[in-house]
Amino acid sequence: MRVNQWPRHRMLRAVIAGALVGMAMSTAVATGAAAASSQKVGYVRLAHLSPDTPDVDVYLDSTSHAIAEKVFTGVGYGVVSQYLALPIGTYTVSMRVSGADPSTPPVITTTVTVATGRAYTVAGVGTHAELGLKVINDDLTIPKGSHARVRIVQASVKAKLIDVSLSNGDTVANNVAFATTTSYRTVTAGSWTLDVKPSAGGSTVPLKVNLHSDSVYSVLVLDGKSSLTATLLTDASRTGSAPGGPIDTGAGGTAPGNNGGGLPVPVLVLISVAAVLAVATVTTVVVRRRATAPDAWMPRRASADRAPTRVL
Amino acid sequence: MTAPRDPLIRRHRIRANARIRKVLAVPLGVLTGVAILVASMAAAGTAGFPRGAAAASGTWLAPSGTPRSGGPGHGFPRAPSGTPTWVHIPSIGVSAALQLLTTDSSGQLNPPTKFDEAGWYAGGTPPGDIGPAIIAGHIDSKCCPAVFYRLDRLRPGDLVEVERGGQTLRFTVTRSAHYPKADFPTSSVYAPTPDPELRLITCGGEFDKAAKSYVDNVVVYAVATP
Repeated sequence: MRVNQWPRHRMLRAVIAGALVGMAMSTAVATGAAAASSQKVGYVRLAHLSPDTPDVDVYLDSTSHAIAEKVFTGVGYGVVSQYLALPIGTYTVSMRVSGADPSTPPVITTTVTVATGRAYTVAGVGTHAELGLKVINDDLTIPKGSHARVRIVQASVKAKLIDVSLSNGDTVANNVAFATTTSYRTVTAGSWTLDVKPSAGGSTVPLKVNLHSDSVYSVLVLDGKSSLTATLLTDASRTGSAPGGPIDTGAGGTAPGNNGGGLPVPVLVLISVAAVLAVATVTTVVVRRRATAPDAWMPRRASADRAPTRVL
Repeated sequence: MTAPRDPLIRRHRIRANARIRKVLAVPLGVLTGVAILVASMAAAGTAGFPRGAAAASGTWLAPSGTPRSGGPGHGFPRAPSGTPTWVHIPSIGVSAALQLLTTDSSGQLNPPTKFDEAGWYAGGTPPGDIGPAIIAGHIDSKCCPAVFYRLDRLRPGDLVEVERGGQTLRFTVTRSAHYPKADFPTSSVYAPTPDPELRLITCGGEFDKAAKSYVDNVVVYAVATP
């Protein structure tokens, strides 16, 4: 019976040792593989900019399944999503009539290929009769100095052409056609009134805005009840200003070779593991010796007086 | 039926079995170790952007700039408000209160006053608003690891949660970087963004004993989970 006692101890020890080696190996592999990687993202926002199109459900699908399908239900005219940070790759954007079965063919669909750090607005544009999904490239370059950048997104069919000027008389854009978007224009940061009016004449709609430096905006022009309305969208921004540079967030207690404190944690962990293994080994040896050769623990003289030791 | 076994033969068989067990033990153990790790990583469920079939709860802004109040099934959560109070980073075991951080007279960010708490730079973007929200924490004290001791172990896809105004805001790590403090790229790290993002910051690199300061900053970038 003793014969198959000691291999069990040994086996257990070998399994534990092997497990430790295996964990160490796979940790090293996982760390090595992940250390070099970064998840590159771009930005997509979705919009319903078709004045006479009823509410829609918007579907966003990654062709490479980089994210789960996203569904935004009951999206009405004039609604714009926040930018969604998405892993780079190709996405399908589809619109269905609100409440339609997801298995039915979408009313319209398009694809957008998201590149690193780039931004896109995917919008349902035009009248319902000629509804299309348009991918707008949003140039979110941050302006330098005390400037902001602003552009016009024209989604009002009641005023097919519009003009936008600053309260000091400077023109932002003239003759902006329905279902088009202007390029961005640099404006001195600060509080402004933007005057939006139909190019063909009509009442001016004032829009009070506070344009922060380092920020990018879109003025969204929509059909109102009788005339047009305008609203400001933030395309890129931040609150306040950046703090100055680095931050001291360490006292050095775990730095290798620093006398300021005790041993660094990894060293402590290694020492602990070594201690546990050492104890395990000694215990195993002791148990084995006791099982196999109890006499070895007797005083030599005593064992010499005994009958010949059984040999296994 | 069988003839009585010769004890010698039986013993020999047992020894042979034991030998096989001995030979198999180490690879078995290695496989076990790998399996344990793989299983624990899978259970952590933090790798990559969230996948699955769940319907989205995205944030849409109404033309007025105020969130639309949608009915059930509408993806229009209310905008977060108030100050952030807590940060959770499950993959590195961080769950810490947030102090409000300020800058000193020279404009440098003051670190948190406690080693087991992180801090949010209250002069900048709040987490969940458009822009880079800055959250800093110590890597160590004079003796021991501190709240962001393992920050540089964060990997793309890892989850970061921030509690703000009764909401839990979710962010996904995209990358991390080491910057020498002497050449810290302030304008790019804290640049305006199109979406709500986080910059998690601690120290790294060599410890300069004379200056009693680490020479690098570790910056982890995270974006609002889509």
